[in-house]
Amino acid sequence: MNWNFSTANFSLRLPDANQDNDALYELLSQPGVMAHIPKASMSVSAQSLDELRRVAMRFEVRESACWLVEGSFDKQLIARVGVQKINWMTDSAQFWWELSDRIDFTILAEVIPAVMNFCFDELKLNRLEMRVVSGSILHEEYLKQIGFQYEGCLPAQQEFEGKTIDLALYSFLAGDRR
Amino acid sequence: MNFTPELQFEGADFRGRVRSLSDDDQANLLNLYQHPELPGQRALDPQSDQAKEHIARMIELSVQMAATQRGIMWALEINDEFQGMVSVFDWQPSHLRATFRVDGLEALTNQQRASALVVCMDFMAEKYHLRNFAYQWIQGQDKELLAMLENIGFERSATLRDGWKLVSDSGEKSYVDTICLNRILGSDVAGRNEGEAS
Repeated sequence: MNWNFSTANFSLRLPDANQDNDALYELLSQPGVMAHIPKASMSVSAQSLDELRRVAMRFEVRESACWLVEGSFDKQLIARVGVQKINWMTDSAQFWWELSDRIDFTILAEVIPAVMNFCFDELKLNRLEMRVVSGSILHEEYLKQIGFQYEGCLPAQQEFEGKTIDLALYSFLAGDRR
Repeated sequence: MNFTPELQFEGADFRGRVRSLSDDDQANLLNLYQHPELPGQRALDPQSDQAKEHIARMIELSVQMAATQRGIMWALEINDEFQGMVSVFDWQPSHLRATFRVDGLEALTNQQRASALVVCMDFMAEKYHLRNFAYQWIQGQDKELLAMLENIGFERSATLRDGWKLVSDSGEKSYVDTICLNRILGSDVAGRNEGEAS
């Protein structure tokens, strides 16, 4: 199976721990880039190297996969998207993204359906869900515009920076594709 | 050290307890899994060596899981008879939450399920300071189970579309929704003294 693919203006590929550390650190050290997950932005590059190694291990056992989204022409990393907690018993997975400030809905509308189609057509998943910190207005708006449906709010999922975090739950099913 | 302590509870017309699983429960568990209550769950063949191995492995894992704070499995007895099992899974110690499930024989009433669940949740709140208890109801399960859960403080938080997969004998796949319920304790309640009302 070829896990790398492209859209008209972007390429999506699996990360390589030997070459992607600097670009990933630049993305994940941007303030607030992971606030919707929630995670704190990275502060030293060793964190992104550790992250790359961990995602490689999880990919090896097919628990998760993630893609670096780069411009086809300038090769600049503008986002990382992925699926985690792949449940092969229920054909479902949790979708997530980390977006640079260069991302807008036009770009998402090009990139995200390509990733979802890969998950549905190649991985044969039926359900993709995304959990975001409740009140992440921009991310929730993006999800709705892409076609994700709101399913509810999971209360008190974790503590983060002294606050109890509720996660809004959205899903997109294979059958939701028009 | 016993990480799955015996807990007792009682109702108007019954006396119950939950206790750790032991090797003596193999026949009880084989019998329990003749009556699966989750939609699509298949009954174990009681004559199958593989089924017996699975049960033995499950009992072994129940000890390891409790010791490493990944899950707990309690045998559930009513009036000294084995009637089911209370399971804790998806236990996130640092996030103070866990998911519960009760598997029961037909004779186990919802009131007895509720009493067993409450005593187990109280233990987890007291011992491990958990404050978020989840339960997943799968479309096709007894609807009265939902009412029972709501009666003991659970609230519906989300409906997961196609959250559960069914596979027919011919291999055809279909999906049903699941409802996620949560019972949240206030921070003043989690870790309260054992025996106090929830």
